Amino acid sequence: MTPRVHNYSWEGAMHRHRKIVVAIVAALVAGVAAYAAYGASASTHATINISFMEAMSSGTQKPALDTLTKQFEAQNPNINVTLIAEPNYGVLLQKEQASVAAGQPPTIGQAYENWAASFADAKAIIPITGYVNNKKIGVKVADQQQIWKGVWKDLFLPDGKIWMWPFNKSDYVMYYNANKLAAAGQRVPKTWVQFATVAKALTKNGDWAWSTDTGTPAAPADGTIVMLSLIKAGGGTWIENGKPTLDTPAAVKALGFLADLKKSGALQLGTNYPGETALGAGRSAFDLSTIAGYPYELAADGGKFPMKVAALPSGRNGQGNAMAGTNIVIFTKTTNAQRAAAWEYMKFLSGAKQTAYWAEQTGYLPVTKAALPLMKSYIATHPYQQIAAQALQVARGNPPYAWWTEAEGDLTTAMQQVLDNGGDPAHALATAQQKALAAANG
Amino acid sequence: MIAENALPPRRVRAANRRGIRDGRFAWLYLSPALLIFAVFTIGPALFVLYISFFDWNLLNSSLSKFVGTRNYRDLAHSSDFWHSMEMSAYFVGAVVAGSTVFGLGIALLLSSRGLVRRAVRLAVLTPYFTPLVATSIVWVWIFNPQFGLVDSLLRLVHVHQIGWLQSTTWAMPALIVYTLWHDLGFTVIIFLAGLSTVSNDLREAARVDGARYWHEVRDVILPQLTQTIVFVIVITTIDSLQAFTQIYTMTQGGPLGATTTTGFLLYEESFVFYRTGFGAAIAVVLFAVIALFTLLQLRVTRSRAN
Repeated sequence: MTPRVHNYSWEGAMHRHRKIVVAIVAALVAGVAAYAAYGASASTHATINISFMEAMSSGTQKPALDTLTKQFEAQNPNINVTLIAEPNYGVLLQKEQASVAAGQPPTIGQAYENWAASFADAKAIIPITGYVNNKKIGVKVADQQQIWKGVWKDLFLPDGKIWMWPFNKSDYVMYYNANKLAAAGQRVPKTWVQFATVAKALTKNGDWAWSTDTGTPAAPADGTIVMLSLIKAGGGTWIENGKPTLDTPAAVKALGFLADLKKSGALQLGTNYPGETALGAGRSAFDLSTIAGYPYELAADGGKFPMKVAALPSGRNGQGNAMAGTNIVIFTKTTNAQRAAAWEYMKFLSGAKQTAYWAEQTGYLPVTKAALPLMKSYIATHPYQQIAAQALQVARGNPPYAWWTEAEGDLTTAMQQVLDNGGDPAHALATAQQKALAAANG
Repeated sequence: MIAENALPPRRVRAANRRGIRDGRFAWLYLSPALLIFAVFTIGPALFVLYISFFDWNLLNSSLSKFVGTRNYRDLAHSSDFWHSMEMSAYFVGAVVAGSTVFGLGIALLLSSRGLVRRAVRLAVLTPYFTPLVATSIVWVWIFNPQFGLVDSLLRLVHVHQIGWLQSTTWAMPALIVYTLWHDLGFTVIIFLAGLSTVSNDLREAARVDGARYWHEVRDVILPQLTQTIVFVIVITTIDSLQAFTQIYTMTQGGPLGATTTTGFLLYEESFVFYRTGFGAAIAVVLFAVIALFTLLQLRVTRSRAN
């Protein structure tokens, strides 16, 4: 029997060697994996095909995205981008869901924050923090800081990781009929209190101040988003500690404010973009909608009156603007090379030059402050773009929770109860909060 | 059987072989249709039944959890579900009654001679061939409280503006009016076919006996149209229970659930709020209700054929 003591040192040496070998192998594997995940495309010469499912198919959006994509492909000859255009966001979501469920998602897709949360819960998308902060292929800290604060905050899910990258962002502005205000001797309102005063003053001779659509629980519309802005402007919150807060005193006050406008006749409710229609027809004085809707507002006006754009009114807590538009996510069922190529494309689209071009062509907003100097001549003729872009600093997107869709719908229901049926704001919001909380708790 | 037994055994065997061969060919010819039916109808229907027993994750089925009959128990206690059943009953009842009464009335008008006949036929039949989505959007504008045709006409007679699609009272009637406008052409065609089978001899006999038109309709035409009327009621009920497009386009189930029928609730739960298992349970219940009416229709059709 071999004395144990003799083998001890040999075994110990072997053990130490094995540890070193294992450590080296692990380091190599980690290095290769990291390279494969975040740097593979740099040296890949074979063509990498990626697909982008998007809803930028109307008006100037399609040619603008086509142009940017061609520019990207010219700069990256080994990457081929296929655009899969859908007619609207509703169809886009259905197509993305169906492709994920079928196990054949695109490489990347546009997504709202709550869509991204659902996809992440189902492990259908990947976090991109590793790409964003990668020293070689990521975005420099200085460039990250150029991204509007509101837009940057919008890229994270509650786990603290970056899951989305910004693309077509917009926020809410106030369109108004300058002639109507001038005729009534009214100034452009800067606060919600002023807005109510001006709105009531303009409600006469069968005309009114503002039309909006609350939407439905299945599809909340502008009216609900303005309500969310009012809550924020009044110092309220939408969520706290990962739970909805729809019945705060600020929310009750905001809904009471809208109910008062409705009661006075200054606010009229409708469907199918009623604000645009009423403003364009010269019957109302204001429309509160996204800046991306500017071409449509202009078309509705048809040159009948000077339609101007101002910042959304503020409350005691500032503007409280709600952000609209989507980000881009990378789907899980993709190769490392595709992910790396997709990241290059996403980074390209958000570059100062490209986002400036996108904004000028489509009416969306540049996602980074660095784009504004490149847009000087455009902003000179379209001053509202700067107003809206600066609001991205404070604007907030949908809370990134899958249940938010339902909570927002509950808020819409509360609004309908109060504005259409004369219900009590506190009671309606308490009911909405109860339902939203149930949805949040699963 | 007697005739077959009377044949020589060799001929019987040949006939049997031919029968088997013909049967095989019949299945061969039917197989493409059966395959399509199995893949796109039977398969998905069975899959819906399967997922109704799960807390189903639409995006990643591997994360789904078996919950037994919980979705059905939740359904039984869901106020939203029972409200949607009430709304479905309201919608179906009004559409079926309207389709039957107006469809029959217009068919009677079209079967008689008159100058307006062709114009009415065109006016009634054309909407049925138009796309639901497109005409729904047109009707959204017709019902627009500020700029719509209906309110403009009402204002002429000093009636206060009504938010047709924004009002919990008026949204469902507005939806019913649109559905009747769109679908009436179909019931008119069925009634016209039924009227063509009514005995002219009996009608003439009634007229000779001095019956007025109303008596002729009540005592001669309607008794002979009973099976057609039942058929129209059954088929319209099934169609109305499945109505979705106009609800989606015009009201999205609102306001305050005033137009949320069971079919729309199914969509909302499954594809808006991602409660796919619960939505599947609604689909199974809706399927059972529709299956009942389909069986009824089959019986009516069979008795009609007999």
